[in-house]
Amino acid sequence: MLKAANLIPQKRLLVVSGVVIMLMLSLVIRFFYLQVYFYEKYKQKAEVNRIRAIPLNAPRGLILDRNGEIIVDNYPTYVLTVIPGEMVNKSKNFQIISQCTGIDSTILESNYKKYYRGRFLPSRIAKDLTFDQLSRIEEHKSELTGINYSQFPERYYSGKINASHLLGYVKEVDQTLLKNLDVEGNYLYGDLIGWRGLEKKYEKHLRGEKGVLFVDVDAFGREMGHSIDYQKVIPVPGNDLQTSLLIPLQKMLEELLEGKQGVVLVSSPKTGAMLAMVSKPDYSPDLFTGTTTIEEWQNIISNTGKPLLNRMTHGLYPPGSTLKMITAMALMEKGKINYSELINCNGVYELGNRQFRCWKEGGHGSMNLEQAVAQSCNIYFYTIVQRLTLDEWAVACKTFAFGELTEIDLSSEAKGIVPNSSYMNKLYGRWGWSKGHLLNLSLGQGELVVTPLQMVQYINILAMKGKAPRLHVVEGAITKEKSINYYSQKTWNRMEKFMQNVITSVYGTGKRANPNITGLTIAGKTGTAQNPHGEPHAWFVGYGEKNNELVSVIVLIENGGHGGEAAAPIAGRVFKFLFSTKENMKLAFTS
Amino acid sequence: MIQLFFLKFKESTISILTIALLLTCAGLIILKSINSGLESNYFQQSFYKQLLFLIPAFFAFLVAFFIPRHTIHRYIYGVYGCMIILILIPFLGDQIASTYRWIDIGLPFGFQPSEFAKWIVVIALARYLSDHNLEMNHFTASLLPIIIVLIPAGIILNQPDLGSAIIIMIPVLPMLYWIGARPFHLFLIVAPLISILTAFHWLSFAIWAFIMMFVIFKAKPNLIFSVSTFFGNIFLGLLSPVLWGLLQGYQQKRILTLFNPEIDPLGAAYQIIQSKTAIGAGGLFGKGWGQGTQTHLKFLPVQESDFIISVVGEEFGFIAIIILLILFSYFILRTIRLAFIIDDRFSSLVLVGLSTIITAHVFVNFAMTVGMIPVKGLPLPFVSYGGSFLLSSYIMTAIIMNVSIDPKDY
Repeated sequence: MLKAANLIPQKRLLVVSGVVIMLMLSLVIRFFYLQVYFYEKYKQKAEVNRIRAIPLNAPRGLILDRNGEIIVDNYPTYVLTVIPGEMVNKSKNFQIISQCTGIDSTILESNYKKYYRGRFLPSRIAKDLTFDQLSRIEEHKSELTGINYSQFPERYYSGKINASHLLGYVKEVDQTLLKNLDVEGNYLYGDLIGWRGLEKKYEKHLRGEKGVLFVDVDAFGREMGHSIDYQKVIPVPGNDLQTSLLIPLQKMLEELLEGKQGVVLVSSPKTGAMLAMVSKPDYSPDLFTGTTTIEEWQNIISNTGKPLLNRMTHGLYPPGSTLKMITAMALMEKGKINYSELINCNGVYELGNRQFRCWKEGGHGSMNLEQAVAQSCNIYFYTIVQRLTLDEWAVACKTFAFGELTEIDLSSEAKGIVPNSSYMNKLYGRWGWSKGHLLNLSLGQGELVVTPLQMVQYINILAMKGKAPRLHVVEGAITKEKSINYYSQKTWNRMEKFMQNVITSVYGTGKRANPNITGLTIAGKTGTAQNPHGEPHAWFVGYGEKNNELVSVIVLIENGGHGGEAAAPIAGRVFKFLFSTKENMKLAFTS
Repeated sequence: MIQLFFLKFKESTISILTIALLLTCAGLIILKSINSGLESNYFQQSFYKQLLFLIPAFFAFLVAFFIPRHTIHRYIYGVYGCMIILILIPFLGDQIASTYRWIDIGLPFGFQPSEFAKWIVVIALARYLSDHNLEMNHFTASLLPIIIVLIPAGIILNQPDLGSAIIIMIPVLPMLYWIGARPFHLFLIVAPLISILTAFHWLSFAIWAFIMMFVIFKAKPNLIFSVSTFFGNIFLGLLSPVLWGLLQGYQQKRILTLFNPEIDPLGAAYQIIQSKTAIGAGGLFGKGWGQGTQTHLKFLPVQESDFIISVVGEEFGFIAIIILLILFSYFILRTIRLAFIIDDRFSSLVLVGLSTIITAHVFVNFAMTVGMIPVKGLPLPFVSYGGSFLLSSYIMTAIIMNVSIDPKDY
């Protein structure tokens, strides 16, 4: 217990006490130095000059299209800040400001609370002030102590194109947001932070570095000019972001899809660069910059078309007949199909006690694989897909990167579902599903769902015959190659020929995608996907080639009806736009 | 019972308590000055809140003073265990001010268990070092005490609270020295830390290597030991930039701001600028109570707790600073003196440890306001505003008075 006796040599007492005394003496010397020796210097500084630190905001980087045209810009606005500790009469001040600017004083009050950082730090109470409003405030400057204004680079969306889902938006950092922020970097209230889309994905790249200006202030809080003692830190603007978009094409497609619900994606299969990305309905990209009224907001929220949903990355759809190439290629590669083999389509196919129908009621008559692809005969595919097991079919789907992320450089995307036997077992039980499900799946119906972006990847792999670079929006984004060595060159070539037939043959379903430009060859496939929400979704996927330049297009019109009628003509417009004039080809293909 | 209490009180070193009370009064005067001109109601003002905090502090003082020394000795390991759990609890809750320092106890104010960890660790350490008749000539004898210290310090460092973590780690050095550890061994404890820190600057690393060589040469341990110590440290130093490179950018930044908050020009550097201006402008006699322009235009941040010395410096001048330093020095030197006189080793070690805590707080707090060291959020004992720390300070005072009485049967 407390038995250990204490025998401390006196030397240790002296050493320990000595250390304490030394520490205390060093403090005394330091305070003497400041308070007595340098008294005059600091006295002057405190009496005449007080230093105020003013943050200098750095503008975010611009977002550009592939030819350097500006999509997202900044424009200077004025913000009103208040230093709470210097304000003499808050309610009176707010009243004056309210009269000068027309902003309700309750809004000022709530902003004051929202952005309050401390009694000596400026907190923002109003933004987006015009020069008029400012000059009226300036007239009352003598009554308004502690009120200052500064320039603020606000985000400005050029209005040339919407591309709202792609660009995303910036959000203002406020107290609640800051608490839950898990992004690295030093954010203050009122700062802008990329919250969706490219603005979020490339936040680090776009965001600048703030500067600080130290100004001297007199006893009344009036600014007396820059402080000599403390160096200004110059803000560093953010880096510009060059995207691969083509503004005129994007613009044309946005107008073309106005009033519809759907997606059009145009890409360059050789590089994986996206030329146009349209998801409709969309919203104006400056919706989130803070000038939106509650009414406008309500309109967006209550819209049944879900304009906030990014259909390109998060819309999950049955791909319909556009998937037939997968079944065909898997069978061709395995040698389980004879190209001259004829199968008769009379409009109905019976398996067990279930009936499966072809989209053409009378039936297509007797046809081979080439004709079945061109005319999208269902009965033909019902018959041949039974030569595969569900798992073989699922593996074939995965070779085209379905069921996995495209890894495009956007903030998030959905994965989709490729069902295999273990998935079906989980869903329906070991004996709860049958070959009939496979028949359905082979036509891109049922449990299989894909995102439009995955469809772009799919068609790019077909266009590049197995070696397609990953999709990307920003030039210079690191892209890996998605490469498939699963199919032989012969199979690829044959598939391409079949898909060209879809466009060129007399009965081809994709005829209307052809703008009839000399030298342009198009390969494609239409799809008409049944869904529980009414009319079928119309699909067209395809690629065109002229003078060794490749472009792939996918079109999805929700509840649009037949793919050949609703989707293919839009793809035709894209091909026409890109390949009909030399100027447009130059815009799209030189980088 | 009450008679017994008075008897014990009379025999204790009352001057220690007198100083604590004087310092508390000084703190209240300054808080009142800071509050003057504030429109808010009484219970939002730090002056009245601090007065309110004195009530629990008084009772805590009585309890800590009256508990017999052998009871403290017997239960301190249990208390240490509970303390470890307590400092882990804030990690389960939400972050407050983006740290895990506080426990929300459903009252209008939170509770900071790390304040209590400081003196609990010291007492636990004192028990360990006094119970075991350690052969202090051996380096291994210093290892377990270091582990006792490192566990809570590591947890608190993660809160993150570098200031408190340092305060918890520091007492182990004087305490080991006090009971006869060789200064060379203490050097060995500190060496790896310095190796890591200096490794980022080749010149300081080279100088440090020479110092290390010199010290090892002077201490003359056996050859294998000296060589392994030297090269172990060099290796650690060379390794640390590599490990640093493996960290993510934001992790590096977090660590850098921990050590040097001045990286953020709107934050700490600004505070130091303002604090120095305020103190310098105070001069010899200060501007007078409530007259500090820097204070009253609210240029100074956290002036009620961490930067309260800036207010003292501005309004009461150099004289007041000297008086405060004399009071603190008396308190500390008196405690060390008691540690020298006292007969049992446990009490002696407790006294040394507690005086180290107070010294570290005082030095860091004063030094930071004048820019001698980077900003560390450490309050000034008795003077700064803050409930947990006031309570903790009075408990430490009580324990100092308690264990310094001649060990009879109190």
